This record gives sequence, C-alpha cells and structure tokens, in this order.
Amino acid sequence: MIDAATPPEQALHALYRDHRSWLECWLRRRMGNAWDAADLSQDTFLRVLSSSQQIAEMREPRAYLLTVGKRLLSNFYTRRHLEQAYLDALARLPEDSVPSPEQRWLLLETLQALDELLDGLPVLVRRAFLWSQLDGLGYREIAERLQVSERTVKRYMAHAYEHCLLVEL
Amino acid sequence: MSRTAPSSEAREVARAAAQWLALVESGSASADDHQRLQQWRTSHGSHESAWQRAQALRQRFCGLPSALALATLDRPDAGRRVVLKRALGVAVLVPSAWLLSRQLPLEVWRADLHTGTGEQRRLTLADGSSLQLNSASAVNLDLGTRHLTLVRGEVALKVPAPAPLTLQAPYGQISVSRSEVCVRLNEGYCQVSVVSGAVQLQPLHGPLLVLNAGQRVSLQASGAGPVTAFDPSQADWRAGVLTAQDQPLGDFLRELSRYRPGLLRWDPALEKLRVTGSFRLDNTDRVLALLAASLALDVHSRTRYWVTLVPRNQLG
Repeated sequence: MIDAATPPEQALHALYRDHRSWLECWLRRRMGNAWDAADLSQDTFLRVLSSSQQIAEMREPRAYLLTVGKRLLSNFYTRRHLEQAYLDALARLPEDSVPSPEQRWLLLETLQALDELLDGLPVLVRRAFLWSQLDGLGYREIAERLQVSERTVKRYMAHAYEHCLLVEL
Repeated sequence: MSRTAPSSEAREVARAAAQWLALVESGSASADDHQRLQQWRTSHGSHESAWQRAQALRQRFCGLPSALALATLDRPDAGRRVVLKRALGVAVLVPSAWLLSRQLPLEVWRADLHTGTGEQRRLTLADGSSLQLNSASAVNLDLGTRHLTLVRGEVALKVPAPAPLTLQAPYGQISVSRSEVCVRLNEGYCQVSVVSGAVQLQPLHGPLLVLNAGQRVSLQASGAGPVTAFDPSQADWRAGVLTAQDQPLGDFLRELSRYRPGLLRWDPALEKLRVTGSFRLDNTDRVLALLAASLALDVHSRTRYWVTLVPRNQLG
C-alpha cells in the first residue's frame, strides 16, 4: 500500500511492483505481442515518473496507468499507420523524385513530429492547414477546394495555428 | 511528456497570435489591421514571442517535399478503408501491424493484397486454405480461377483441400493441394520450399517436377536448379522468428533488413562475424540490441530509421 508519506522513488517502486505485470497483461491482450507490450508498459511507467501527478496521492493507480497506457497504445498505432502511409507514398513517387535513403528516413522522423503536432485537429482544419503550409495554397483556393467560405478557412487556419502554438508551449 | 497546462493568459496570447497570422495570410488585412498588429506585437514581450513562434512554426513545414508530406500527413485512413471495404464486398482489410495479423475470413473472389516492410498478414480463404504474406510482399488472388500470383516478396500457402490452388511465380507455376509451400521471390530467381505434403511444379523451361516436404528448389528463367533439403520444422518467419545457425553476420543483417523500415548499415569488418540464435522479428531494435550484447559491435542510431553497426571501440 502506498501512503502520502512515502518518498516518491519508493512510491514509484511500489507502483511498478504492484501493477507492472497487470498492465503488461492488459497491453499484451490488446497488442497480441509480448515484446511491444513490455516496451509500452515501460514507457507508461516512464511517463508516470516524469508526470506532475503525485504517485503517492493516486487514488486509483490502475485507472491512471490505464489512461496513460491507452494513450501510448494509440500513439503506437498512429505511428505505424503514418509509417505505412509514408512508405506507400514513397513507393508511388516517380523514380527521379525519390529522396536519397538518408533523406528518406530523416524526413519520416520530421513528418512524425509534425503529425504529433497536428494530432487532435479536426480533419478539415488539418487539411486546410496542410494545403496552406505544404502546397502554398491561398485561402481562396482552399475555400474552393473544401467548398467552404474564405471566412471559414481563416477560422480553420487560426484554429490550427492556435493548436500548434499551445502544443509547443 | 509531462507539462503543466498553459495558463489562461498564455492561451489568450496564443489565440491572438493565431488570429493575427490567419488574418494577414488571408490577404484581407487592411492597412489599419497591419498597424494594430504592430501595436499588439510591441505592447508586450509575450506577444512578440508568440508571433515569432508562429512564424517559426511555418518554417517547420517549409522545404518539405509536398507530395510526399501531404500523402503521409493527410492520410485518408478511414476513407481508404471504406473504399477497400466496398471493393472487396465483405472483407475489411485493416492495415495490420506485425503479428497483429489475425485470421481474416476473405469471402471474396478477387483481391490484391500487400504488406509493407515489417508487416505480416494472414488470411483464411473460404475453402479453408490459408495464406500468409511476409514483410514487403504482394500477391493477386483470384478465387474464381483459383489462381494466386506472387508479385513480390514471400508467401506461404497452405491448401488442405484436394482441389488445387495454382500459385504463379515469375519463373514457374506451382500447383498446391493437401500441402503447404513457401515461395520467395528474389532478384533473378524464386525459391520454392515444400513444408508439408507434395506439390507439382512447372518451371518456365524443362519438365514437370514433384517436390516433397523438406525439399527446396530454385527456379530461374533458364529452369529449375538442383533440389536441396531443408528442415521444415525449424521455426521461420511464419512463426515470427529469424533463425541463424553459425551464419555470417552480413547475411543475417541483409535478411533482417527485410523486416526493418529504414536504413541498416554495417562496417564491412563485421561481415564475417558469426551469429547463432533465434530472434523475434516483431522488434528488430531488440534484435540489434541482442547482437550488440553478444558480439563485439556497437549500435549507432542516428535516428530510429538510420542505424549503423560498427566494431566496438571504433566510435571514439
């Protein structure tokens, strides 16, 4: 049992001891694979360790671990999907515009970071923002393509900028 | 990643900066607006810094190859799945991660199936046959004619029924019934290994061949090579493992690269080191860590996708 007087390292230790195998089981059932489950469970504890939440004061440690674990699980799948979309897009590129092998993988990391940055934006907002940033489309063109008003595009863009600025805070 | 929630003041500033930027970009800002923006920026240090951060944000997207970046970041996951669903009638082919591949009933007549690097997929057909696609592989399936075409990579096909399924590979045709076979397409040749039962094999040139369990043959444009023996009970990619028996490290790493998105390079001095062991393919980072633990080499990761192996003590 953990009580409020327990020092933080001890509290983490106890949390790990009491719940790690339970969490790993939970993850393994969802991922169907013990290695990734073990990795994610470690990551979950790392997140908990670096979070501002006081471990000793946690009332429902398992519920908390599950919340963190679920988020990491979802990130894991997002990353796999992104990787796949990237590799697919790469395969479709004409031969002469394929980046060098080094560039290819550095680029993927950049895209992963941007994907994380944009995570949580509504689809249309995200699309408008990407068209503007990557294709350099003007607001009017975006409005035409999305079949919304220019005012709406301006609102979308402000929304996206605000979202990114807050994520980076 | 822990961070405390931004203060309401910081939120307010971020919102204002975002709205200013969108207004300027929209092209509808008046001279008056521009002047008010200047005032807003100079009125407080936090305003100017938010404005600068917003500009820096735009920089992050500059210079990216737009087609590639758009296809990756604006990926229509949900949409694509709907299209596929419609195209296939019933089956839903969710891009499945390594070892997440489940038995998916495929009650369709035609489908083009593929896996990405590091991905595996397993399918059960309506007649009880099953096929498993290895990493970076593609097949076309036509159940009307009971024809499976291997386009790239590697496929394992198990047909328990007496009605044969024909597997078409670039250098020959294999008829599979009451048997299980693995076919792997390499540069310039195609390797056929019979896991159980017996298969009939028609090379592009030469006579029909019958191959039994534990036998393996290479097919080339010129015909079939000699039949060799292998151990069909040894766990391989179908079980998610890579097994090496006193194998040169170079060969092992070339094989491992098939399962690993990204660049894997190694110092030529490592080529001749020997590897023995059974390695799980679902986490190739771990395989590399295991190699580093048992051999005199260091893993140098520039990024997750760019890894170089060097002899130990050469990193300086």
